Amino acid sequence: MTNDHMPSAAPSLARLIQELSKLPGIGPKSAQRLAYFIIRLPQDEAYALADAVSGVKQNIVFCQECQNLADASPCSICADHRRNRQVLCVVEEPLDVLALERARCYRGMYHVLHGVISPINGVGPEQLKLKELLDRLANEEVTELVIATNATLEGEATAMYINRHLPRPGIKVSHLARGLPVGGSLEYTDEVTLSRAFQGRQEL
Amino acid sequence: MAPPRTYRCEALTLKKAPLAEADLLVTLFTRDRGKLRAVARGARRVSSKLMGHLEPLTLVRLSLAQGRNLDHINQAQVIDGFADLKQDLNATTKGLYLAELLDGFGSEASPNPPLYQLAGEVLKTIGQDPDSDWPLRFFELQLLNLSGLMPELYRCLECRKTLTPANHQFSPPLGGAVCSNCRPVEAQIRPLSLRCLKVLRLLHRGPLSQVMDLKADGALAYELKSVLGTTVGYWLDKEVRSTSFLEQLNRESTAGVYT
Repeated sequence: MTNDHMPSAAPSLARLIQELSKLPGIGPKSAQRLAYFIIRLPQDEAYALADAVSGVKQNIVFCQECQNLADASPCSICADHRRNRQVLCVVEEPLDVLALERARCYRGMYHVLHGVISPINGVGPEQLKLKELLDRLANEEVTELVIATNATLEGEATAMYINRHLPRPGIKVSHLARGLPVGGSLEYTDEVTLSRAFQGRQEL
Repeated sequence: MAPPRTYRCEALTLKKAPLAEADLLVTLFTRDRGKLRAVARGARRVSSKLMGHLEPLTLVRLSLAQGRNLDHINQAQVIDGFADLKQDLNATTKGLYLAELLDGFGSEASPNPPLYQLAGEVLKTIGQDPDSDWPLRFFELQLLNLSGLMPELYRCLECRKTLTPANHQFSPPLGGAVCSNCRPVEAQIRPLSLRCLKVLRLLHRGPLSQVMDLKADGALAYELKSVLGTTVGYWLDKEVRSTSFLEQLNRESTAGVYT
């Protein structure tokens, strides 16, 4: 039996399934389920989804200052004059900005790298927003740089690279503390984390 | 009685990649099972007891359960986290280059305990002396040797005569040195200086502690890196991606350091 005789979805449905299966973590079966779910949606909800997809591609831009994804440049954080412009926090991804903002512990500015140096995956400094960061440090009134890359090998390597390439002296550089997570237990903590936690112990 | 579904092994973690919502796909070079890809469930959650133990370039003792496709990591205990190496950018990048080579040369269900031992020794030495390029050159040659791809360094591959103490030629596809009199066709022939040939023989003989005492000027350092790099690249048959960042760091510091 050739493929010509195989039952197939209507062309417009097949196209939707094909497009959905391009999403990360979505295989052909999941794409089919999502497509049939969309068909059963009320018309206004389905159009709202389509509108959101096209809107995000039309409206989202890189903020020219922090390189975060935003509806306008500068983004709402960079445009906020109440924030401390002398402190700059470097993060890997836009989602990290959201996490830090949720924690309400920081009122300075951000810079989003959009990745980390990962030699084994062929990602070098040129593929990241590192040049933009170094330009900001050279031209803006930043006195403190907080490197908030993830506590992974690649995150640490990126932090070391930034520290090595600071464009001028007089910038205080720090990275987030390493140690025990809230709710973590010593027994299951690896040696590197434990030794960092011990080094960073604080007086009660 | 059915064979046990869980087993223990020692391994060097080579790389990790996110999988599903909070899992990790970890590539390991194990001592007794060769290269192995395994899943660490929930390891990306901050509360995971596995998280800190599975960073790349860590020697770990693992307990795994056999899965339908991929095995699952149940427990992990760090043997050596190579803390010195991870505190230096050059050393970390060299370590990742080594991991990429192990990933490329290693194959599943094909254990190579001497290579496992060698990787641990070389990583430790890189951590102790991050600026020296000798550990990587030693690793490249010993990797070829322990993978059954040792280049011929004593006889001409064309005429089979013993190499005289003079400048000769080198060909990765032919598998080593070719004397200056022979002209093989389509063999990617490149010149091989006498002193480079001698150092390659020393790298073969080892041990690493003695290799670390060798001295080389910039020209010899470049020739060694080029000969071994092209040979490793030839057998790997794909680009070694960490090379470009390693080269960038080298350019930023000094020329290859072999002191």
